Formats: sequence, structure tokens, C-alpha cells
Amino acid sequence: MDIGELKKQSDLSYNIAVAKRNALEKAHSRLVVVYDEHLFRADAETIALVKTLGETHSPLYVLDSNNNPVEISDPDDFLKKLTERNQEAISSYHQMSKTFEKRGD
Amino acid sequence: MKKGILLFCFDTVDHKYHKILERCVHLIKKNLKLEITIVTNFDTYTHLKPLGFVNYKFIEPELGNAKNGKEWKNVDRHMAYELSPYDVTLVMDIDYFPFTDNLRQFMDTKYDFLISKDAYDLTDRNSFDHRRFSIIDMVWATVFVFKKGKKAKRIFDMIKYVKSYYSYFLDLYRIYDRRFRNDYAFAIALQQANGFLNYDTLPIRIPTLPPDCDIMKFTDEGIVWQYNDQINCTEDQDVHVLNKEVANV
Repeated sequence: MDIGELKKQSDLSYNIAVAKRNALEKAHSRLVVVYDEHLFRADAETIALVKTLGETHSPLYVLDSNNNPVEISDPDDFLKKLTERNQEAISSYHQMSKTFEKRGD
Repeated sequence: MKKGILLFCFDTVDHKYHKILERCVHLIKKNLKLEITIVTNFDTYTHLKPLGFVNYKFIEPELGNAKNGKEWKNVDRHMAYELSPYDVTLVMDIDYFPFTDNLRQFMDTKYDFLISKDAYDLTDRNSFDHRRFSIIDMVWATVFVFKKGKKAKRIFDMIKYVKSYYSYFLDLYRIYDRRFRNDYAFAIALQQANGFLNYDTLPIRIPTLPPDCDIMKFTDEGIVWQYNDQINCTEDQDVHVLNKEVANV
């Protein structure tokens, strides 16, 4: 492989890496959810916490993204909203990732 | 409760900001679907194409600030509280393009004032880590939300005070950049008004394209840009574009 081809591959790898990172950032932005007038991240940690605590506690008390305590009166509804948003954001990122794989082939 | 978006736009000798505003308003109507009030002067207004249902507030912008040797009419943001006709207001830079509805939900929180502390460099160069240029965290006044009430009023009163003695506060907080920047004025005021403690923030990083990126294409869905010999794009993601030539794309 000559140096021109190597440079081309390197540029392509760079472009894919930047695009993939931006797609992940886009997913992170989309994970922010407002529930009961508070801000949350619909990430794996929040979902696991609400799922676990929701099995034994109702109402349940959690911290929002600014560490303010919030009473969640309907944990099932909260969990549903979190998982919906999480899967919307991550599935979009998944689709984008597939296109990056094709570009990198 | 009345909710809406407040935008500031003043043309300068060097930049036709009204063209950027037209793009921004179009995307707000498409994605955020909130009422809009534009703070501008009559000269800028006369250049605007018809934007549909939009409110206007006319003021004469305070002059005297400059960026890279060019006129920069950015000093009037401290008047957002008085100028806003809304109970809950989202203030946005006109070069922040909302390709999503992500910001809309921030109008429905209990917080009195929300602003982001972080920006994200879409070219992956981490060029917005300004922490080392001052002894306080900078905030990004590009996008913020406030709810009218005692607390928000106190913050805006403090911003006015900081603006009045800006050079003193620059020295106090050892801020390297000597121009008036809303980002620092807001950061100082928030710290002072909150008793030098933490304050509530938006848990987002502002996706930003640095000024050395040329905008190649601008559609309703996203942006294509060139940096050096690399071309990249983003779709369905809000973008803050720092290159004012976006007006001419």
C-alpha cells in the first residue's frame, strides 16, 4: 500500500471516529428527560436504580441531575418513560454505528 | 403559564446577523414550536424577510464591544428578564440551530434558572475547555432558561451589577479574556448570587462548531462542514455555529 492510500485510509478512519463520537454525544443529549419538573438522565444507572427500588418502594425517592431529591409517586410510569427515551436514543446511535461500519469496510 | 423564546439580533457592519436569525427562526418553528420574541433594532428589522407570527421588541443596542477587531453587539443579554413577555423564557443565541426538540422540555421544570457549563467540540479538538483561563467555571450563555420570579430577578440584577464593574470582576476571577462576554458575566453573577456555591445547571453539553470550520451545506435536518481537508456532518443534533459566514451558505 503506498503512502497516498495510507493517508486516504487514515483520513477515512478519522472522519468515522469523529462522526461516531458526535453520534454518541447526540445520544447523550437525547437521554436527558424532564419528569415531574425535574431533570434526569435516562441512562443505565438511573434505569437500574428505579427498576430495583421500584420493586420494593412506592413512592420512591431519587436524586435528579442537580442532586435535588425528588419523590416519585408512580415508579412504573417513571421507569416506562426512562426506558422509552433510553431505547429511542441508543437505537438511533445503533443505526448510525451500522453506517459507520459500512463506510469503514 | 406563558412560555416562549427570546432572541437577540443586531446586524453589524461586518455580519448580516439577520440572515442567521432567519434560519434559526425557521428551525424553532419546525422543531421547538414555541412562541418567539425577537429583540432587535429597526435597521436590522428592515432587512428581515417576513417570518410569520413573531413578536418584535425594538431597542438600541449598547455599543463598544469588539471581537477579533470587529464590532460585536452582544452586551444586551442582561435585559432578557425585562424584555421577555413570558413567564418561562428560553434565551438562545441566533447561531444556535435547534435541529431537534431537545430544548423544549426544559420549559417544564421547577428550576428558576438553568444554564449549561459545558460545550462539546464537534471537530473532536476539545477547544472549548476554558477552565484554565479563569479561576471559576465558565457557563455558556448560548442557551439558558429562566422562570420569572424573585430568584431569577436576583440573578439578572447581579448580572447587571457584574456588567457595571466588569473589569474589576475580570481581575478578581483572573479571567484571561478582557472582552465583555456574557458567558463570564453570567458565571460570575450565578456564583455570587448563589453564595459562592454550586447552582443548578442544564445537564447538556452545547454541541459547537469552532469558528475555523467552513459550513458547506445547511439543510432542515443538519449541517455539513469542512475543517482543514476533512468534511464531516451531523443530522438531528442541535449545533452552535461560531463561523458567522453561515449567514452566506
